Amino acid sequence: MSPPKQADPALNPTESRYRVGVDIVGVARITRLLAEQPEIAATLFTPRELAYCAGKRRRDEHLAARFAAKEAVLKAFGTGLGQRMRWTDVEIINEALGRPRVCLHGEVAAWAQRRGLTDLDVSLSHTAELAIAQAVAVWRGDSGQSLGG
Amino acid sequence: MSRDEIHSAVETAVVDALGVDEDEVTPEATLLSDLGAESIDLLDILFRLERKLGVKIQAADLAAHVQGGIPDEEFGDDNGIITDKGLAQLKKVMPQIDESELRGKLEAEKVMSLFTVQNLEDMVAERVAAKAG
Repeated sequence: MSPPKQADPALNPTESRYRVGVDIVGVARITRLLAEQPEIAATLFTPRELAYCAGKRRRDEHLAARFAAKEAVLKAFGTGLGQRMRWTDVEIINEALGRPRVCLHGEVAAWAQRRGLTDLDVSLSHTAELAIAQAVAVWRGDSGQSLGG
Repeated sequence: MSRDEIHSAVETAVVDALGVDEDEVTPEATLLSDLGAESIDLLDILFRLERKLGVKIQAADLAAHVQGGIPDEEFGDDNGIITDKGLAQLKKVMPQIDESELRGKLEAEKVMSLFTVQNLEDMVAERVAAKAG
């Protein structure tokens, strides 16, 4: 069976556009970083993220997964960490039943709004060695955020 | 602070953060491609430089240095390709790039893959000079 054709923006300019980002992080890298430069924690993670992970037995796995999620979101945005953006502008919080959700702040939130972001979802997973996250960003069809860019 | 001190600090920060050999850290080595740095490694390097040199450089400052304050919509087009204006800016901070070769092709996501150890040292030297002045 042929795969479904991608939506042609020229035919339906209001069609939503999707972009995915994924990132994988070695947990040991996070452990080493935080051990050698503990002040980095406040640069990378919000107080809410740090508090959530501190309550976990395998704190560094959870922190690594959250860092991977921030990277995955920025990859889905196609921007990386741009001008005036901070790592804490992408915050991963957990809903009541534990499902992670992305909360955007500051310049990243402003940038996403300007570009017509309508939805953003993230999924995390981790082992003792690796943490991985995937993000899917949905853009308003007329936002100019093309599938190629 | 002398240029030699800055060079030494940058070299040490890159070696310690990335766990690479000193002889791999050449001026023309690209941090992401040649030396295998990831975003978290760049952050580690910048923090080490701050501790050593007393100059704060945030990750977003790196982006601002590279983009030179040019708004996103002028730096890259809707397809994420760096514009001519963006390329001219990149040539200022990364003199080693070949503008004619990259024109119409360079994706915004690939910009930092061109950033070399020398580019980093030049940026740090600029910051040190700005702080002193």
